[in-house]
Amino acid sequence: MRKKTQQSYITRTVNVVNYIQQNLDNELTLAELAQQANFSSYHFHRIFSGMLGESVKELIRRLRLERAAIELRTSTTSILDIALGAGYESDMAFSKAFKARAGLLPSKFRKSEQARFPCLSLSSIRYVTNEHISSFEPFIDKELNMKVMIKQVDDMLVAYVSHQGPYKECGHAWDTLCGTLAPMGLLGGNAKMIGVSYDDPDVVAPELLRYEACISVDEIFSTTDEIGFKSIASGRYAVTTHIGSYETLNETYQKFFGQWLSQSDHESADQPCFEIYLNDPESTEPEELITDIYLPLKELNHG
Amino acid sequence: MDKIDLFKLHKADYIAPKKPQSCHIANAHYLVINGVGSPGEDNFNDAVTALYAVAYTVKMTRKRNNLGDYVICKLEARYWSINKQCLSEQDKSQWHWQLMIRTPSQVEISDIEQAATALTAKGKTVSINKVKLIEHEFAHCIQMLHVGSYEEESRTLEQMLAFVTEHQLSATGEHCEIYISDPRRIPMERLKTILRMPVSN
Repeated sequence: MRKKTQQSYITRTVNVVNYIQQNLDNELTLAELAQQANFSSYHFHRIFSGMLGESVKELIRRLRLERAAIELRTSTTSILDIALGAGYESDMAFSKAFKARAGLLPSKFRKSEQARFPCLSLSSIRYVTNEHISSFEPFIDKELNMKVMIKQVDDMLVAYVSHQGPYKECGHAWDTLCGTLAPMGLLGGNAKMIGVSYDDPDVVAPELLRYEACISVDEIFSTTDEIGFKSIASGRYAVTTHIGSYETLNETYQKFFGQWLSQSDHESADQPCFEIYLNDPESTEPEELITDIYLPLKELNHG
Repeated sequence: MDKIDLFKLHKADYIAPKKPQSCHIANAHYLVINGVGSPGEDNFNDAVTALYAVAYTVKMTRKRNNLGDYVICKLEARYWSINKQCLSEQDKSQWHWQLMIRTPSQVEISDIEQAATALTAKGKTVSINKVKLIEHEFAHCIQMLHVGSYEEESRTLEQMLAFVTEHQLSATGEHCEIYISDPRRIPMERLKTILRMPVSN
């Protein structure tokens, strides 16, 4: 058990939660929150939701809704103003969201003395003004059974094609890349199929997700403008294997960051992860797909 | 243009029943590579790598040139012994094999040659040049699903041989396999392989 590292992750996550509580009226960007806790902004979101079982966005939305419930019952502020204060664009949108969570419309909730305050989450982070969280038991999946290897990876030259949009639609980038490299005899042998996902699909809108389809090559060659070359940084990586459909990769990322990383002796480096695909998604059943996920680590600090 | 998936188009050729079943497999095109030696050892693995390298190079090059797209089929293999001995009595290092990937008939020999030239120029394994495009007709076969390690195939083969005897057929001595599962992923005891036994009446 790596108590010390885990405690540090807990303390830093708690700082973020308290910061959110105190700044619910502000916009609260991920970058700002990551900075509060001194987490790498690349990976902050996954660490947070992995540890608490609730994403940053969900937590903020929920706390604002809980605060709105209190205001409804204890103040005479108009429902529209409460809605705007909770981050909704209209009282309609707010009413819908409130009803979905609390079971009744805000107007009914306001009038009813009996209606109980909505219990919006199983976690005990609640909207409060008179408490301060000092620690928590991380949300740990009892089934966490993750095999993780620490590997030293050498610099790897890759040819790549960028894709922006839903990760599901990255096939086009792969077609361009494979279609260019195949006639040159660069597929097969040790050529590795690598994906670099820059953004967390839980946080970034689908049309803005950035991805690079990469194939390892021995040297740079002249080719079309669509193909770029770059080096995948050498260094220490934690590597785990995801077995199953690409659609569920995100769940493995979540566990890897939120649970494995926070219980390990390691700290993630501020650079993106990459994935190596070990089989062909066209001819393999989704449940048999194998993907190695590489999480970059900071160099050990023997201070 | 629709993507051709021969494995799905020819479902009947890849039936995997729990009891032996008779089937007829018509003439088809295959990318193949021949060799001798124990399955799973260097020679064999090198051949698998070479076969897939050519298969994907041809597929992606044709796709790039708008000549249609297709799914790379499952790996198949035929095994035989040169002196007609029963394979199980022969040392594995003496096994002859032909690894095969079923390929749409549109693929031409010139595609294979181009791919081999390109891959060889880039220093990929020399076995690349052994990859050929052939037509093959398995014709009348007995087929059955084997679940478990490759070592334990004999119990499935016994059932198939009993079926052959019962139906007054005779096995040609060739042993064929179609690899449904990825051995890197699936535990040995759950590996799925279609066993195919060509027979003559």
